[in-house]
This record gives sequence, structure tokens and C-alpha cells, in this order.
Amino acid sequence: MRTLRNLGLTLLYLFLLAPIIVVFIVSFDTRQYLAFPPASFSFGSYAKVFANEAFLSAFGRSVVIGLVVGLVAVSIGMLLSMALVRYRFRGREGLNFLVLAPFLVPSIVLAVGLMLVLSPVGLLDTYAGITLAHLGITIPYTVRTITMSLMAVDRRVEEAARVHGASAFTAFRRVTLPLVRPGLIAGGVIAFLISFDEAVISLFIVSVRTSTLPTEIYRYLEYSTDPQIAALSVVLILISIAVVVLVERLIGLRRAI
Amino acid sequence: MTDSHVIVEHLVKTYPGASAPSVDDVGFSLPRGEMLALLGPSGCGKTTMLRMIAGLVAPSSGSIRLNGREISQIPVHKRNMGMVFQAYALFPHLSVAENIAFGLEMRGVAKAERVEKVKRALDLVKLTGLGDRRITQLSGGQQQRCAIARSLVIEPELLLLDEPLSNLDAKLRDEMRDEIREIQNRTGVTAIFVTHDQDEALSMADRLAVMSAGKLEQIGSPREIFDRPQTDFVASFIGAGNFLTGQTTGRGEAQVEGVGAVRFVGEAAHGSRVRLLVRPHRLALVEAGSGGVNRFAGRVENVVYRGQLMSITVAAQGVRLQADIPTHAGALPERGQQVTLSVAPEDVTLVGAEASPPMDPAI
Repeated sequence: MRTLRNLGLTLLYLFLLAPIIVVFIVSFDTRQYLAFPPASFSFGSYAKVFANEAFLSAFGRSVVIGLVVGLVAVSIGMLLSMALVRYRFRGREGLNFLVLAPFLVPSIVLAVGLMLVLSPVGLLDTYAGITLAHLGITIPYTVRTITMSLMAVDRRVEEAARVHGASAFTAFRRVTLPLVRPGLIAGGVIAFLISFDEAVISLFIVSVRTSTLPTEIYRYLEYSTDPQIAALSVVLILISIAVVVLVERLIGLRRAI
Repeated sequence: MTDSHVIVEHLVKTYPGASAPSVDDVGFSLPRGEMLALLGPSGCGKTTMLRMIAGLVAPSSGSIRLNGREISQIPVHKRNMGMVFQAYALFPHLSVAENIAFGLEMRGVAKAERVEKVKRALDLVKLTGLGDRRITQLSGGQQQRCAIARSLVIEPELLLLDEPLSNLDAKLRDEMRDEIREIQNRTGVTAIFVTHDQDEALSMADRLAVMSAGKLEQIGSPREIFDRPQTDFVASFIGAGNFLTGQTTGRGEAQVEGVGAVRFVGEAAHGSRVRLLVRPHRLALVEAGSGGVNRFAGRVENVVYRGQLMSITVAAQGVRLQADIPTHAGALPERGQQVTLSVAPEDVTLVGAEASPPMDPAI
């Protein structure tokens, strides 16, 4: 029974991981097209990826956009969460829905809408435009994670800070903020990864000047299908894993202490 | 009156949307160094009272004066209060020492002095050497001590405690009760604490304020509250009691139906209807037919043996009396037996009087 279950689990994971495994193996191929199994093994594709100017500059742009989106989405998410969790005001339900809305709308609809809105104000293919677009789809996530953390904060603890001499802002900075830190970190990382990964909306908004890595990959695939793309995919997977492990360490370690 | 540290006058709090005020025209004064208990059932407004004094809730009207200075408009963080919360509300991300140092830091106390004061505070609450612990590593009692240290280290004008013992188990509760009292004595801080537990209030407080439905029913020393309750609510909320209803026939004497003349303490106009309180443990068994006042003869209906005491229910001509009598190894009353109970006139308290038939309400 136990071995049967283990076998089932192994097969399930194999099935889930199969595309990644295939990509990983193919990335070492030397032929000029994507095929499985590979005919030969080398690191040539990796060398080409790291020498590809288009990839490198797009990677740099994606990282910068991702970091800005992460930071801003967390800041706005914090303010929104404070409003939604702590205050009862008119239009609270409406705001809550607005925050949730991007979850419900298909990316392609958002993309077309954003393009139509950003175009007349001259924000197409600008950093401001792509950052705004990514904020729209990441803020729902940061609001969720921060709201969760904030709801777990005992208000009496904040009151204790106030009574013992902290102004409202100091109490927020010294007590509330450190207590919602896990939510801030989780939200920030999710926002970064979504922005870094996002292709559909970016394709509609960016062109040559601000092309992100996913759009650059898409464009490359239109004309060629060589193992470079597989090698790049492996690099991206490794980056994602690195980020997740880092976060696990950051939040996990704090809990362990 | 000259050295009243805290004076509260006509304090009212009505929460938005509430039909009745949570605190309704409450006033009292508290001398320096005394400990006041706000006692009452849940929802009586005692916690709202405490939170208004702390500055966490803004009063609808009325005044709170501290050292003669009006503080109701001063923001919470500038009032210099120390407060111990019900679930302690310690900062979970800080160590014990950092928790205690928080108020000092807010007041801009220099590092070296902070360390010194935190050390003394830790000694005061018997947490010596535990400064580096995380809050989660402390037991319930230790967290309580840490919360007390945090609020005392800033040498507050007032120490406020919100149900300080309700989160502790019974054994620890008795221990902390004595300890809080001792710390308060030693530091001489004026303190106000909220509780719904009358034993706690009676044993810890210098002064006791009983609240009900937002109103202050009575304020006085624990003895005054227990022995001379002025309202029906106080009489029935604190301790057990037998209530007798009668009509005054003279100074300190009333005619109680079925029982006869009962002598009591208190002023009531001649001929008014009065309610009298007799505590069960103030009733004593006496020889049948022995002379004297306040004799109640009757048949024992029920007995409950409780070790040091025995509770008996006596049906005495028309009234049923509960009496707690001390036990001994000799013969004790049994069910069905005829007994005579007696009570000294000073142990019969007048709790309510109204002029009977209409007009002219008695004092």
C-alpha cells in the first residue's frame, strides 16, 4: 500500500516536472532546432545566451521593472490593507472589489484595455506604462498577503505602544510594520516574480525600447527555435528557485529564532 | 480631598449608533497611592471607563483630572500612563528587555540609563536575568510580570490594569494578586484596575467602585461596599444575601411580615417600605426561646456541608433564610429540625427605602 502510494506520487511529480526536465535536457543540445532526445551535449547554448545582447538588456530591464513593481506594490498594498482591515468607511466593499477585480478579469482583456488607456496618454512602450500595468495585476496579491498578516496583529499590542508613549506613526513603524513583515516580504516577492514573468500584458504595451525578458523570448521564438531558448528557460527557472529559497530563509529564519 | 490624584466628573461615553451610553455620568475621586477597583458585570462600562482614562477612547462629555490638570483632551501617548492589558499585549517581535525598555525609548531616555532601569524593573517583578528571552518563551505568569514591568518602568502617573488576572489559572491568580498588591505598595503608584471578580476586588483594592449598566452604583472601601451596600444592585452583586422587606415602625426598626420586628442600621422615614440585607454568615444559631432582638425561628429545609461552613436553609414564618454557620465536631442541625437564628442589628443593613403609599420619598 505504502509503496503503491509512493509510486503514484513519483509518477505525478514526474508528470508535473516532465516539461522542465525535457527543457533541461534539450538545453544541452547542439543542433539548431528543438528536438528530443538531444543528439549531443555541450554548454554552447548557455554561452550563446550570456552573449546575447538582446537577452541581457531585456533581463536587466525586467529586473529593474520587477524591483520597482515589487516595492511600489508592497507600499500601496500596505496602505490599502490598513484601510480595508482597520477602517469601516463608505465604499469599503467597493474598494475591496476593485482590489480583487484584476484576479477575475482575463489577462488578455486587461492587456487590450491597458493598451487602449495607455496609448492616448503616451505611455505605451515606456517604463511608467509597463510599471503601471504590472502594478495593476500585482497589487491584488500584495493586498492579500499583507491583509492576512495585518489581521493577525492584535490591536491591543498597538494600543500598548500608544499608551506607553508612541505616537500613531511611531506605533505603526515600531510595532505594526515589523509584525506584518512576513506579509510584506511574501507580497513583494510574489509581485516581483509576477512582473518578471508576465508576458501577455507586456506584449501589448512594450515594444523595442522597454521590452522585458518574456517579450524578448516571445519575439525570438517567432523566428528561431534553437536550444538557446531552452538554456534561457533553465536559467530563469534557477533564478525563480533562488528567489523562493531566499525568501523561505528570510521569513523562515525569523520564525525559528 | 486635597490630595485627590484622580478626579473624574460627569464622564459620559456613548458609542456611535448605541441606544444607551456605555458610561453614564460617572464621577469619583481617588487619593494618591491608592488602588481603585472598577467592579461590575460584563458590559457595565468598567472597561470603557479605564480606556477613557488611558486615552484610548475619547469621552463624549465630562472631565478627567490628574494632579488637578484636565487630561481628557491630551492624546494617549502624552498622558504618561502605564497599562497592563488583559492578554498582556506584549510586543511579540521584541525581547523581554526590549518590551520593558519601549516606554523609556519613547521618552528619549539614554541607553545606559535605560539598561539600568530595565534591570531594576526586572528585579521588581522577579524576572531577574530573563531580559534576553523572547516573549513566547515566557509562561503566562511571567508574561504578566513582564507587562507589569513594562508599564511601571516609565514611572507612570497612573497604573491601569484591565482584568489583570483573568488569563491565569487559579493558583497563579492568588499568587499574582498578592504580588500586584505588594508591587503597588512598594512603588506607591496610584492604580486603577478593572475586574468582574468580587474576591479580587475586595482583596486587592483600597477603594471599590461598583458599576452597573454604565452607572456608578457605589464607591467606598471594600468593607463599606460589603457591609453597607447602598443599592439593591450592590447588595445582590457582592456576596450572598437574604433580603427582608418590611415597613418601618420606628427608628432603626421595621415590621417584617411573618417574622415580626427587625432592628437594623440606617435611616428611613417612619412608615416607609424598606429592604433589609442580612449576610448568610452573620446569622448565628441560638437557643430556642432565648431573649433578644432579631430572632428567627424556623425549620431546617436543607443542609449543605462545606467543611469550614455549613449552609442551611431555614423556613422561618414566611421567609426563607440562608445561613452559613461555622462547623464543629459536635451536633449540627439536621434537616427537619426546629432552630432559631439571630443576627445583630448592626449586621442588618438598609439597602432601599421608599415612602409608602405615594408622595414624600424618603432620603
